[in-house]
Amino acid sequence: MPVISRIILLLAVFLFVGTNLAWAEQEEDGTAVPSATTQAQVDWTELDEDDQELKVWDPLEPFNRGMFWFNDKLYFYLLKPVAKGYRFVAPEPVRESVSNFFRNLATPVRFLNCLLQGKGHDAASELALFMINTTFGIVGLFDLTPDDMVKPDAEDFGQTLARYGTSSGFYLVLPVFGPSNARDAVGLAADSLTHPVPSPFYLKMKPLEVAGIQTYETVNELSLDKDTYESIKKDELDPYLFVRNAFMQKRAAKVEK
Amino acid sequence: MIIWSKKVLLIIFGCLVFGAPQALCATSPLEQVKVAVDQVIEVLRQGELQGEARRKVLSKLLRSRFDFFIMSQRTLGQHWKKATEQEQDEFVRLYSELLEASYIGKIEAYTDETVDFNSEKIDGTRAVVATVVHSNNTDIPIDYSMVKKGNDWFVYDVVVEDISLIKNYRSSYGEIVRKEGYAGLFERMRKKIAELHEQPVWAREKT
Repeated sequence: MPVISRIILLLAVFLFVGTNLAWAEQEEDGTAVPSATTQAQVDWTELDEDDQELKVWDPLEPFNRGMFWFNDKLYFYLLKPVAKGYRFVAPEPVRESVSNFFRNLATPVRFLNCLLQGKGHDAASELALFMINTTFGIVGLFDLTPDDMVKPDAEDFGQTLARYGTSSGFYLVLPVFGPSNARDAVGLAADSLTHPVPSPFYLKMKPLEVAGIQTYETVNELSLDKDTYESIKKDELDPYLFVRNAFMQKRAAKVEK
Repeated sequence: MIIWSKKVLLIIFGCLVFGAPQALCATSPLEQVKVAVDQVIEVLRQGELQGEARRKVLSKLLRSRFDFFIMSQRTLGQHWKKATEQEQDEFVRLYSELLEASYIGKIEAYTDETVDFNSEKIDGTRAVVATVVHSNNTDIPIDYSMVKKGNDWFVYDVVVEDISLIKNYRSSYGEIVRKEGYAGLFERMRKKIAELHEQPVWAREKT
């Protein structure tokens, strides 16, 4: 009996992985016929089962590269200098607390998406953390998550859509928001309805206020970042391709969690 | 978990009974990565070596634990089989140099990070070693995919925050090869290597 259940589990895993690949990316045409000439040498080209080249569907590449260029300039000429100045005036613990505050503030988005995905335990954890951090953690400025507790993975509507079978669609670089895809862009719009800052339902802030707060959050995050984008630009042959693939891998992993 | 501890016991028992050489029992993939990483951190921390001398030491440490040949094959994937022998050799040479330069650039930004070696999963001649790098406020999970050759384990992929380096390069290099051929790819690689060497990492502004 245990053997049978294990086989079923394995099958389920394979099917799951199979469908995952099918929606996320198109695969290289399967020309994996081993040729006799290369057999003499040890062949490591297909060490893993999923050792196929993942081609990201990017029909809008010219547009996307334009947006990538725009975001690059925005980063180097506006956001990064501001973040550096801000880093100079605000000590790190303060910036950490601001980051905690914003994370706590976004709990409704994560909580709702946990529920929509049927992750009851994670939803309960989100709610518990929100209550503790909002009260004892002073409106979320301090993160009181116990050391031995693993924070639930941050859920969003893009992942919820994926959970119900929506494929990621074409790759899309959004101005200001950065790398995304058709599905996650819709998700982002949907999440903005439940996030306290942009939501038109509860705090009802003016567009300019929303933009101001979101910019501040971005600058604060950038002030804590250790030049991730700079190092990508420095090291990679084509930063656009690197970011595109990294984003797709990251999202695929998040969807699976 | 029970299965694991049983396996461990069996291995220990096997080593005791059959008197296998110490090396066989002692060098698990996790230990081998740990030794390499500890050595790198030690070099960076003591600060005795600087500049080119330090680069040489780091390069040697890196090349002893990373298998750049496997990494090259896996990065080119299908394209590898279609490449001529000269193209393969040239790619391995340039790719090793490029990976080394960018990797050393990253580890030279070392400040006070600590590394936890959390677990290892061994499956025949392959293994994954899970580590977490603690930087002052963030934890970055880094997994090393390893393959066994003889008694030693070698890194053939690094997965940082769920992003596999090799998968990423396979996708971007594949695209470049398709559009610009090997000539185009090598040209870009040579340019990048020159760029990385021209501005030595230890002279770069730290922000």
